[in-house]
Amino acid sequence: MSLLQVEDLHVWFQLGSGRELHAVQGVSFALDKGERFGLVGESGCGKTTSILAVMGLLPPNASVAGRVLLDGEDLLAKGESTVSPHRWVDVAMVFQGAMNAFNPVQRIGDQIAEPMELYGVAEGQNARRRVAELLERVGIPADRASRYPHEFSGGMRQRAAIAMALACNPKVLLADEPTTALDVMVQAQILELLVALANDFGLALVLVTHDLPIVAQVCARAAVMYAGEIIETGPMDALYHDPCHPYTRLLFAATPDLYGSGDVISIPGAPPRLDRAIVGCPFRPRCDSAFGPCDSIRPQLVRVGQDQAAACHLNTVMREATV
Amino acid sequence: MSATANPAAVEDVQPAIESRKGLLRRELLRNPQAIFGLTILGIFVLIALLSPVLLSQDPKTKVGSVFEPPGSAHVLGTDGGGADMLALLVGGAPVSLIVGFAAAAVSALIGGAVGLLSGFFGGKTDVALMRLTDYVIVIPDVPLMIVVAALFGRSLTNIILIIGAIYWTTTARLIRAQVKSVRERVYVKRARALGAGNTRLIGRHILPQVAPLLIANTVLLVAYAIFAETFITFLGLGDPSLVSWGRLIENAFTDDAILNNAWWAIVTPGLCVTIVILGCTMTGQAMEDALNPRLRVGHLSVKRFRLRPLAGRLDSE
Amino acid sequence: MTGFDYVGKRVLFAALTVFVAITLNFVLFRTLSGDALSALRCRQCTAQFKEYQRHELGLDKSKWVQYRMYLADLSHGNLGKSLRSEQSVTNELWPSIKNTIPMVALGTFFSIVLGIIVGVITAWRRGTFVDRAGLYSGLGFYSMPPQWLGLLMVLFVAGALGLPTSGIKDPTLGILGDASTWDVLVDRLRHMVLPALTLGLVLYGEYALIVRSSMLETLGEDYVLTARAKGLSNWAIVWRHGLRNALLPIVTLVALSLGYVIAGTITIEYVFSYPGVGLAVVEAIDQRDYPILQGAFLLLTLSVIVFNLVADLLYFKLDPRVQT
Repeated sequence: MSLLQVEDLHVWFQLGSGRELHAVQGVSFALDKGERFGLVGESGCGKTTSILAVMGLLPPNASVAGRVLLDGEDLLAKGESTVSPHRWVDVAMVFQGAMNAFNPVQRIGDQIAEPMELYGVAEGQNARRRVAELLERVGIPADRASRYPHEFSGGMRQRAAIAMALACNPKVLLADEPTTALDVMVQAQILELLVALANDFGLALVLVTHDLPIVAQVCARAAVMYAGEIIETGPMDALYHDPCHPYTRLLFAATPDLYGSGDVISIPGAPPRLDRAIVGCPFRPRCDSAFGPCDSIRPQLVRVGQDQAAACHLNTVMREATV
Repeated sequence: MSATANPAAVEDVQPAIESRKGLLRRELLRNPQAIFGLTILGIFVLIALLSPVLLSQDPKTKVGSVFEPPGSAHVLGTDGGGADMLALLVGGAPVSLIVGFAAAAVSALIGGAVGLLSGFFGGKTDVALMRLTDYVIVIPDVPLMIVVAALFGRSLTNIILIIGAIYWTTTARLIRAQVKSVRERVYVKRARALGAGNTRLIGRHILPQVAPLLIANTVLLVAYAIFAETFITFLGLGDPSLVSWGRLIENAFTDDAILNNAWWAIVTPGLCVTIVILGCTMTGQAMEDALNPRLRVGHLSVKRFRLRPLAGRLDSE
Repeated sequence: MTGFDYVGKRVLFAALTVFVAITLNFVLFRTLSGDALSALRCRQCTAQFKEYQRHELGLDKSKWVQYRMYLADLSHGNLGKSLRSEQSVTNELWPSIKNTIPMVALGTFFSIVLGIIVGVITAWRRGTFVDRAGLYSGLGFYSMPPQWLGLLMVLFVAGALGLPTSGIKDPTLGILGDASTWDVLVDRLRHMVLPALTLGLVLYGEYALIVRSSMLETLGEDYVLTARAKGLSNWAIVWRHGLRNALLPIVTLVALSLGYVIAGTITIEYVFSYPGVGLAVVEAIDQRDYPILQGAFLLLTLSVIVFNLVADLLYFKLDPRVQT
């Protein structure tokens, strides 16, 4: 039984004047202890919304359906009341742009200690000691705890945010674009840190990003999201070498290779609007391999290999062809 | 690096900027505050414009007994001189509004010019002008107005000039900030590179961008100006030959309306002032909001997200 | 240390502004004096006497010399003599100042507290009826001329609450028997309530609006989302993260609105015949007592400068970001 199991997650946003945005359309994935899982896709595909839903941090105009099982318990069973006891203690998050995750008028150490004291994990002296330990763990000298956020560089603030996320020893860490806006050297350090944490403490990590090389570096498995749903999932190797969805293929092809051949390919067009029902495959308008059924039938996520699944009609055709 | 869409998206920036006036109009018409404010202003401006037509004689003429309560003869009663309140209010409208708009215009002119020069030229001009602004801000407005009115006489022009000369500072700062940001925009740099002179740059490129904000600010200035006028006249420093709403309040006070329990002489002119100021404030704020939107998602709310039971699969696919 | 840098700069600026204010004061009033003074005070005076007056007031010397005399006088705290009473301006104004300060303090305190409460509540309950009610009532009071609100108070509220509407003391107090300090205090307070309340009401609207918008902006910050993720209750978030940040602009705003407080005080004191600096100014206008006017103007301007300085320093203390 997996540590974290998300089943058929849907999120809608009320947009006023009766319109609704179907931001997440049936997302499912599972992680085990110590596993590093990537959630990939371009901006607006619903990946951030998905993990916010896992933590129950959606705005009031959102409605959610589906199950989020943590050690078997459904966090979303009763909404806020079932999710809040687990926040930070079991599932913690490092937000996008963690530079701003800190209150500018409070010291860093106090902010890291805040959840500890809240949940009774540690108090006073103990809390301070733990804060020092955590800071050391993420590579920040412990004496910086008494400083203010603006005295930290971007990279250090990111690490501090990670330390803060670990304050109550969570089982699952959701990291949303943890390295955007950081320079490459710092990026690498942060990523190494995340890998080490997962290995050393059995922390299950969900890494949300649009940046493929990062996912490739950190995660063993990943899911690719498009227009609110997962269109392919599988081991990183398989996704790279043997993608079973045109979007995945194009995504990887679009990543400029430092030593590779010149042209940078980009995928023309834009993702579909999610405030209307989608007919057929959502990727159809931008797909280079579309054919017959793509216009009218929405592909379901189907197993295509040992550990891989994809939502594309091409696979059904292939399968039928090889049968 | 990542497979993002539309290469055409980057080029959309320019047209978006140029339709700011259009944006303003659109946003305003959707905003109930703005509509309310504009309606109020419209009504009063209309009354003011029509006042020569609506009034058959000098509103100050005595037409009834002193402090007559509202009744069939005089809908809003009479004042301490026996003149009809309604007539007085209608007669006072153009005066109050003229002072308001004229003084605001003066302020906007000064503030706009200072802000423009400061923001555009930067450097020493900027420092000098901002220093000047800092000093002017510190001087308390009403005492200065009192002093100048006491020293230089109580005429309408003086009042307009005094008010105008005091309230330009916030405008100056606002416009300066805006000009600075516009100056850095790509198309301005491009124009400059193509050899456009300063006047052309200011006139064709910067001014149109800054104008909407200036207008929004001027509307707010009108509110201040009308306010200031009521102060001055209340303290007896207004133009003695003119009737304005501020004057009416002062008259009521000095004519002992309170002792006579003549609430209609007090409430009505003040109400007019308040409503007009309210209208200006609402409109001006709505305009500023439309131009500088701060659409922020609030992360804190009493309400929470909702759960939707999955009754059957969602089969639109 | 950059901390000192900042403080130093602000103090220097304040000092410079004080100097500018003093000079402005001089320029304004000297433009007037002379003939106006003698003409109004002395309609049947002989030419000789007028000469004597001019000499006494130093008006026959060059402007530059007059300026130096003025500065010298100021440094001794000499603000000249009232034309009406021949008393020194300082002596005349001092009791007025003693009356005005507690009234204004009371009114401003009330407006700040009410402003913060309304601002926070409306931000918290954004979009609900409470929000709109708070906003419009704030806007409404903000749009009212203070003298008008004062008059309304006198008309409708004073009677209902049994509060006095003029002066600062009950003339009958102490006549029929000894008045204890407590009685005197209560009496003073009763006379202060309405003017202070009026002042507070016209001020609170602006504060509420600023607190609300500052709060809304703060509540949209990422660190609030983080706090919510960390499991803090709404209350804890508002108090510990929201307010601390949202209140920073209040400090500056209160200082900036001092100009309006002065304007309000003058008109309110006039309406309530409250014997403070405001009323003194109005009476001075009436009686053409220019030295008093000049002295009061100087004092008011200096207060604004000092207050702005205090606010700057306070802000410096409260916002660690400025300290670097």
